[in-house]
Amino acid sequence: MDFDRYELSSSVFDEMVRQDGRPRAQWRELHAMLGGLDAADLVTIQEEVNRSFATEGITFTVYGDAEADERIIPVDCIPRLLPHADWEFLDRGLRQRLAAINRFLGDVYGEGRIVKDGIVPSEMVLSCPQYRPQMRGYRPPQGTWVAVCGTDLVRTNEGFFVLEDNLRVPSGVSYMIANRKAAKSALRREFRLHRVREVEHYGAVLRTTLCELAPGGKSDPTLAVLTPGIYNSAFYEHMFLAGEIGAMLVEGRDLLVDDGFVYARTTRGLRRIDVIYRRVDDDFLDPTVFRPDSLLGVPGLIHACRLGNVTLANAPGTGLADDKSVYAYVPEMIRYYLDEKPILANADTFLCRREEDLAYTLQNLDKLVVKRVGESGGYGMLVGPHATAEERKAYAEGIKANPADFISQPALAISRAPCLIDGNLEARHVDLRPFVLRGASTRIVPGAFCRVALRRGSLVVNSSQGGGCKDLWVLDE
Amino acid sequence: MNQALLARSAAGLYWMSRYLTRVEHLSRLLYLQTEALSDRPVRDIHFGWTRIYHALGREPPWGVLDQIEDDDYLLADSFTLVGDLTFEETNPSSIRACFGLGRDNARQMRQHISAAMWTQLNLAFLGIRDLTIEAVWRLNPEGFFADTEAMIHKFWGVTAATMYRGDGWRFIQLGNLVERIQLISALLLAQSSALAEADEGTDADWISLLRQFHARAAYNQRFGVQIAADRVLSLLVSDPQLPGSLLGSLLYAQTHFHNLGTGPDAKATDAAGETISSLTQSLAGGWVTRENEREQLLGINAAGRELHDRINLAFFDYALEDAPRA
Repeated sequence: MDFDRYELSSSVFDEMVRQDGRPRAQWRELHAMLGGLDAADLVTIQEEVNRSFATEGITFTVYGDAEADERIIPVDCIPRLLPHADWEFLDRGLRQRLAAINRFLGDVYGEGRIVKDGIVPSEMVLSCPQYRPQMRGYRPPQGTWVAVCGTDLVRTNEGFFVLEDNLRVPSGVSYMIANRKAAKSALRREFRLHRVREVEHYGAVLRTTLCELAPGGKSDPTLAVLTPGIYNSAFYEHMFLAGEIGAMLVEGRDLLVDDGFVYARTTRGLRRIDVIYRRVDDDFLDPTVFRPDSLLGVPGLIHACRLGNVTLANAPGTGLADDKSVYAYVPEMIRYYLDEKPILANADTFLCRREEDLAYTLQNLDKLVVKRVGESGGYGMLVGPHATAEERKAYAEGIKANPADFISQPALAISRAPCLIDGNLEARHVDLRPFVLRGASTRIVPGAFCRVALRRGSLVVNSSQGGGCKDLWVLDE
Repeated sequence: MNQALLARSAAGLYWMSRYLTRVEHLSRLLYLQTEALSDRPVRDIHFGWTRIYHALGREPPWGVLDQIEDDDYLLADSFTLVGDLTFEETNPSSIRACFGLGRDNARQMRQHISAAMWTQLNLAFLGIRDLTIEAVWRLNPEGFFADTEAMIHKFWGVTAATMYRGDGWRFIQLGNLVERIQLISALLLAQSSALAEADEGTDADWISLLRQFHARAAYNQRFGVQIAADRVLSLLVSDPQLPGSLLGSLLYAQTHFHNLGTGPDAKATDAAGETISSLTQSLAGGWVTRENEREQLLGINAAGRELHDRINLAFFDYALEDAPRA
């Protein structure tokens, strides 16, 4: 296999090779292995990985695409390697970040000190669509609002940056494990040689975390994973996680609330549920509190939660802290609540609700990535450098109409890693989403859902937007 | 602690089993029918199609089946009928539709079935999902149906070999039983109707029925090679030693039903048990006579529907007010 088509750029960090073309220390063996393989060998490895995904039925759905029912997520067989020191750095930064975010949520839905002290503007909190006044005064077990966080990180020549904290129903962890199984099987020898840290115990760690959040510290609580159903894009993951943590996989119609307790309808009668790992958005959780037209939720669920009879993980209202405007304040939260210097950097963020930021954004649309504050999954975003003049013009009109709905960030030169594209090794942009769990303590499995923008030049890695994924090997010391 | 089975999951396993039993049954019917196309007389082929459509309670795409003497037209019609029953998107009882529904149920209930079951079923479904009738017809239609039936047999084998014998397993057995009661009684009723339409019955009509249940060898062992309608019916309905017979299926499922214990609706559970017992007793008494054949078959068919309703009420869709709580 030659590296003829493997492009390097001085402005983009390459995960595998340095600027002089030599492999980075952690990549030496894999680089040599790739160089020693025929293209046909690598294609065979890729086919094995694809087959493993198809056999397992590891699928997702792209909304709005009639042909995309149950699509197999594109997966690249070449892992991304991360040295121990990098991981230790990320691990510390992620723990710090989640601690501050949980404190922030408890504060904002409680005393509101951070607002009173003028650190975070109150109008930004109150106008955020994800702010849930219904949760004011709620005290979740262990003070944990966010039990599962999936933080999106990228690397540039300047280091790692947090792009967003997914605090509502972050997905992708099942792909992390599926990628690992497939890569392990396809690259047995290399996997052993690299002393890769395990990720397959994630289910056990998640179970421990959720059990620690049981109402009243109940031992051996009954867990459930609440899914919108088989047509949800992440259904495979819901099913997978329910199996891994020994929970019932329930839909709203399987549950009822009676006398402030939540029950599941089983073949033995009604069984009380203690902890619900919900994979349904706030809006649809309880039609008596949020959207009345929701068919996915359970009437009375929020009441039961507020009574402390059931724990919802993540708690309703956590979306406030992953609003893209609020994200800009996370470094301030770290300083305010923890009195520490932020370990992980945010990407520079311009809040269009501020006049000067709006002007800057409109003048520099061709250099910026603009996002809607309440959107996730890559939807509603403009990648300025890749957009046409017409697209930028149309988008600018939207920003002007509702400036507070938008933020902008410089288009980061996101790092690239080797991928097998049409039988050749080519560099593609990658990010990573580690999953941080918080029950009585914080736990992080050393791995991540590593996403790849498979289209040449594309910066959009979201699987819902046609991106793919690959395994991330966190190397032992 | 033994994890309770969600009522919807139990229903999913039950329906998975029903749909896959349907696929198995229809694949076998179409295997025999496409095999017959190569050498059987036009009358037998017409009889076969009539029996299939009566059994499914479905009309052929053009409304009425006519007996066609011209070979080309006969084959062209058969192509359309096979397509209608195998891949037609508007036909909810087609092989692909039932296979897809069975697999959808399995997909939702994956935590209750073994990984080997899922793999077998998923790969089998992916193998037929994108096929077309043109492709199947061009190559080897009877081979396709034989393979499809074999894939389902393999799935049952993997299920028997790997699935934990808990309540999920029991609901799978009940789904299989209820579907078999419906399918067998409907097919025997269809045989009766098709014979009434034909001028006279032939041994081939009964032999094909035996072959539908893989019971030709069993028949020969029990009765010898001479074909007699009463004996065929007796074997398929009330011989407990034939695994796929109605009585054999009932006896097998009876144990599983009792092992389930009482469902949240105790009255409905008792009623379902009574249906199984009385049907078992009536069939154990033997096949009575050809004179009241239709009446008996209609009674069996109705009992199958009743059993389904009672299982549904006892375990899946019970009233919440009086349900026990834990």
